[in-house]
Amino acid sequence: MSESLPATSSMLLAVDRGHGRTRRRGSRLPAVIGAWMMIAGADVAAAEPVVIGSKAFTESVVLGEITTQLLRGSGHSAEHRRELGGTRVLWSALVRGDIDCYPEYTGTLRAEIFADERVPDDGALSQALSRAGMWASGALGFSNTYVLGMLRSRAELLGIRRVSQLVEHPQLRLGFSNEFLDRVDGWPGLRARYQLPQQDVRGLSHELAYRGLESGALDVTDLYSTDAEIVAYDLVSLEDDARFFPAYDALIVCRADVAPAVRDSLDRLRGRIDAATMTRLNARAKLDREPETEVAAGFLRAELQLASQSRERSRVLDVWRRTCEHLAMVGISLLSAIVVAIPLGVIAFHRPRVARVAFAIADILQTLPALALLVFLIPWLGIGYAPAVCALFLYSLLPILRNTHAGLADIPLELRESAEALGLSRWARLRSIELPLAARSILSGIRIAAVINVGTATLGALVGAGGYGQPILTGIRLDDLALILEGAVPAASLALLAQAAFSALERRWVRIR
Amino acid sequence: MIALEAVSHAYASVPSVEDVSLSVEPGETIALIGPSGCGKSTLLKLTIGLVWPHCGRIRIGDRELRPETARELRQRMGYVIQSGGLFPHLRALENVTLAARHLDRSAAWIEARVDELAELVQLPRALLERRPADLSGGQAQRVSLMRALMLDPAVLLLDEPLGALDPMIRFGLQEDLRSLFERLHKTVLLVTHDLAEAAFFARRLVLMRSGRIVQQGTYEDLAKSPVEEFVHDFVRAQRGLHGNLRDV
Repeated sequence: MSESLPATSSMLLAVDRGHGRTRRRGSRLPAVIGAWMMIAGADVAAAEPVVIGSKAFTESVVLGEITTQLLRGSGHSAEHRRELGGTRVLWSALVRGDIDCYPEYTGTLRAEIFADERVPDDGALSQALSRAGMWASGALGFSNTYVLGMLRSRAELLGIRRVSQLVEHPQLRLGFSNEFLDRVDGWPGLRARYQLPQQDVRGLSHELAYRGLESGALDVTDLYSTDAEIVAYDLVSLEDDARFFPAYDALIVCRADVAPAVRDSLDRLRGRIDAATMTRLNARAKLDREPETEVAAGFLRAELQLASQSRERSRVLDVWRRTCEHLAMVGISLLSAIVVAIPLGVIAFHRPRVARVAFAIADILQTLPALALLVFLIPWLGIGYAPAVCALFLYSLLPILRNTHAGLADIPLELRESAEALGLSRWARLRSIELPLAARSILSGIRIAAVINVGTATLGALVGAGGYGQPILTGIRLDDLALILEGAVPAASLALLAQAAFSALERRWVRIR
Repeated sequence: MIALEAVSHAYASVPSVEDVSLSVEPGETIALIGPSGCGKSTLLKLTIGLVWPHCGRIRIGDRELRPETARELRQRMGYVIQSGGLFPHLRALENVTLAARHLDRSAAWIEARVDELAELVQLPRALLERRPADLSGGQAQRVSLMRALMLDPAVLLLDEPLGALDPMIRFGLQEDLRSLFERLHKTVLLVTHDLAEAAFFARRLVLMRSGRIVQQGTYEDLAKSPVEEFVHDFVRAQRGLHGNLRDV
């Protein structure tokens, strides 16, 4: 457990696979998105800060914040992109160069990232990382392994202390974090190893699982051994008597092309955070609702005597920033969809074969779950605005396409013939007659797309695009209703506003006609 | 001026016009008559290229109507339909001047032409500021006629132009139209199902049935020497005030 990665040897072995220092963000995007990304990313490109990512749970965010502030305190320029998602999202972002570093666990790397290679121990892991063009800091000093947890009262009532005893209680209800449910080193492996018979197994957010236990809706859930809630909710960790879970030593994994000075700074964390310290930091962030920036700053002051400046959180400024992010996502995706879908609708109207193909594709896109689409897009577009804008763009296509087509099809034949009989060119007919007559239908398509977009854009926070989804996500993680409302209320208001604005436009159009 | 040579057309696979040949001299007014679905409206659409014949040829003046000549030839024809076909989002004036504006005619030319036409169809200019929805049926048809006449076409194609109007207005407009045709010396192809109206406008009537021309000639020819039973029945079906053949 306390075994740490030989940092110097991994430095020597680190191979740069030619990703280069230049961030590839936005390189393969459609022109519109690309142009926008250049504007939005201008400050990033200028200063080239080290970008730290973190997963969507408190410990990862705290570690990400510690890492970021440590680098800033050591004279580097650093930026924290928090709560980006799960392991796959973070690793893809790292491989693409969207982020440079993020906190990870050895067990996760071995079982998830390098599942296809034989990585029996931490030495082999170090080599596997090098082969992948990555570098890892020394172990931070604690292991955050998976454990199964139950309410103490419930466990004592049933007399369960070890995982193997679960076999005798097939009626127990199990609720696991979605990631645990799918991971090889999670539920599938655990069930096989212990021959567990439980049928009632469901996936849910890690943060909601505690409340499930407390309310009696669940009996058993997966926990991290450094979770602050273990004490707070009076839970017991069941002993892993068949030694199924591997070691999950925390470390910072980086691209091999980060500057040596950055690596040296990160190695200052080696062995500085033990399990008790991490649990305490988690408790401060999660139970005491102390902002992660404060928690990290406090730790760095106490442990590394680093005078880290944590910025004061301004609620008004936060809401304003999220509004800008949200509007940017919705606006850019909607505009791009308008630019694509209206001409496509016109072409489809004149060519039934194009219509069939276009509608088939748009229909399929519409049925894809937003979350799945976002994750599919990450390997191509990385994290942040690009996949979010792209997904929203794809969702906006169908309503606009359909309504453009329907608006044109609804024009009475005699009016289309009258226009043709006047000897107007096809373009003139389209511009002066057909599009104005279809405008109401097209406008209502845009309205539908806009309203759907405002709601769906809250999912953008899952891939690091920010917006109103960010406080919702953080609020769910911290069980903070006020924070959830801070995202949900403006998102709902914006949707209503879009609805009202477009309806007014449509009504105005009717008056004109 | 208009020459249709052995023209046939079908909607999907249902024949609408079969082997029709028809020639209209410059300045002549011809009325196409026949029961609903006999193909008379389709013949008009064929003449202006809104539908295309499956076989046969159509000539307008000295040019053959083909997809590549259609736009130019359409500008030499005016087309008026029963409902007027006015674009609801444009004011009456914009409806009238649309084609001229797309042809980059000067504002002064357009202005003068609109004045001339408003006088010709006897429509107060103030009404041209209205949208079609705010015009009466008769006013809308006068606007539609102005639109058709805007580019001073040699040919007018009228598809039941008065069919939707109430009898009083219709009566007045019939008078106005006939004097207008005579004054302008246009070549007119008029579709109507009303034999009396046809005879009022045109000397030559063309009676159609099931996509074919059954008989051509004056009202007297049709009434007195019908070539088949159908012609006799069609003429008899036009009831006059006293329940019988109407005097013309």
